Formats: sequence, structure tokens, C-alpha cells
Amino acid sequence: MKGFLTFISIVILSGGPVALYGQQTEQPMIGQPAPLFKLQSIDGKTWSLDQVKGMYVVIHFAATWCPFCNAEAPHLEELYQHYRNKNVQVFIVDVKEDKGLVEKSFERFHFSFPVLLDTSGAVSAKYAPEGVQPDLARHEVPIASNLVIDKEGKIRFYSLLNTVSFDAKLTKLKEQLDELIKDGN
Amino acid sequence: MMVHWPYILLLYFLPCKEQTSDNIVKVIASEVTAYPGKSGVLYIYVEVKRGYHIQANKVNDEFIIPTTLEINTGGIITIGKHSFPAGKKFRLEGTNDYLLVYDGVFKIITSFNTREKIQQGNYTLDAQLRYQACDAKTCFSPRTVAFSVAVRIV
Repeated sequence: MKGFLTFISIVILSGGPVALYGQQTEQPMIGQPAPLFKLQSIDGKTWSLDQVKGMYVVIHFAATWCPFCNAEAPHLEELYQHYRNKNVQVFIVDVKEDKGLVEKSFERFHFSFPVLLDTSGAVSAKYAPEGVQPDLARHEVPIASNLVIDKEGKIRFYSLLNTVSFDAKLTKLKEQLDELIKDGN
Repeated sequence: MMVHWPYILLLYFLPCKEQTSDNIVKVIASEVTAYPGKSGVLYIYVEVKRGYHIQANKVNDEFIIPTTLEINTGGIITIGKHSFPAGKKFRLEGTNDYLLVYDGVFKIITSFNTREKIQQGNYTLDAQLRYQACDAKTCFSPRTVAFSVAVRIV
């Protein structure tokens, strides 16, 4: 009995349940196949997830009005420049906005990776984890989220926005990407 | 800074109030009494749900959606100026950037002039508050909440 109580105390003091809860809430859909999509980029090209199979894919769901997306934008470009020769493809998926507005807003960031237009919000809705923000329109849920998809097309990292401890520099995403690249997964 | 207890009390006890809410903001416009050809002031109280913030009226990025107020005057009054409070700084962690936001309860003061020739009576003006909110986990698409403003001409 004493041993059991000691074990429980250690678990509580070490924040075990908190960490476990954090994993469940902050990293949904891990190991699941990433929903497939085919979207047009703002420069008129068509991109699909199938097309980049065998690469590590970073996806950021964005909207021009989203302040956290805009704060992350320069860091996404930096990330792309750092990883572009390491078999990494970066996409921004803009959710439910007009091409003209997206072009005008994102011009200042000089993205050298594709900005895709999910004009209906259907792709974004497919990436909304079940049970997360149930009151919200499904296409709104992934806005400002970041994902890493592995070479097999499985989701390996999914960070929903956390405005309280915002990771603008994508530190955790880069750690995950480095690990995947190192392991060759 | 944004939470003012007298406002909160007003939100619940203001007589003759016009109240409208969605699941993020609650808007209350106090009923106003005015005289033909005179100026007056409207007070609009906005309560932002706990845990949420909305972008302020003055923002520091042209693509951020500011909180704005629109009143359809119906020719009854002429709007002078909407005075919004200053936004509160919300630092974007890991960057040097910050947002200007409202949370808690804040007040918008609108000055107006009443038409010279207008019949006495009660008028209802349609109004809209447009805003873009975020909570700890997500940012919501811009939304508009419609409400009414009661004007009594005496």
C-alpha cells in the first residue's frame, strides 16, 4: 500500500497526468493518414498530397486575418529555406478566402513555397480533429495549426494553436522534423 | 484594464437596455433620450466572453480585422464619432510583435445629432458590431453581431 501511494505521489508530482493530457489535446490525429487533397496555388499550379509522397510535408493552415498566422509567416519561410534541400515540402493552406486578398496579404512575406487556396474550406474541415472545438465550423478549427506529414503520408506532428504559449518560431515542429529526418522515417 | 465592474453591473441592470449576444460577445446599447436638433451621446457596452479577446478598433496590421461599429441611422440622427477605448497589448510569444485587443467589458461612446424636424416618439436603429476573436486554442473567422439602439425623441 505504501509503495502504491509513493508511486501515485511521484506520478502527480512529476506532472505525469498533465503531460499525458497535453499530448492528447495538443497532438491529435498522430499516426493517422493525412487526408488527401488537391488544391490550386496562388500562382495557378495544382498541388496534391500524392504528388509529394516520399517527402516530409509541413502544412500551415492560415487566413489573412489570423494574427498568429501572420506572426509565424516569416519563420515558415526561414524553415523552408533551411529544410528545402532535406526532402521537405512546405505548404500554406489558406482557408476560405479570395485569391486576390491572399495574394495581396502574403506578398509582404515573399514565400518561396506554394500557398494553396482552400476556397471552400473542405480540405481544412478534413483536418479538423474530431471532438476538438465542437462549437466551431469544422473548417475553422485547423486555422493557425501546423502539421508534419512523414514520407508515408502519416501525420507525425499536429500543433493546434495555443495563444497562451505561442510557438511562433516553430521550435517544436523543427524538433520533430529533425527527428524524422535523422531516423529516415 | 478592460474589466470595469460598474460596466458589468450596467450590463445586467441597465433599465430599458437593448441586449444582443452571440457566443463570444454580448452587446448592450443604453436607450437614449434626445431632443430635435440637439446633440447626444450613445453608450454601447460590449462584454467579451471570459478567455477570449477580440482585436481592438485600432490595429497595427492592415490585414487584421478591427472591431468596428456601424449604426443604420435611418435619417433620424447623424453619427458624429465612435470613440473606442485603447486596446490592450497582447504579446505574441516568441516575437517582438503584439496585438491590440479588447477583453472583459469595454464601452464605445458615439456622439450624434438629432434632425431638426423630427416627430416625437420612439425609434429603433439597427446596428452591427464586427469583430474577430481568438481564445487560447483558436482564432475565429470574423463575425458580426446585430443589435438595436432605442432612441426616444421628446
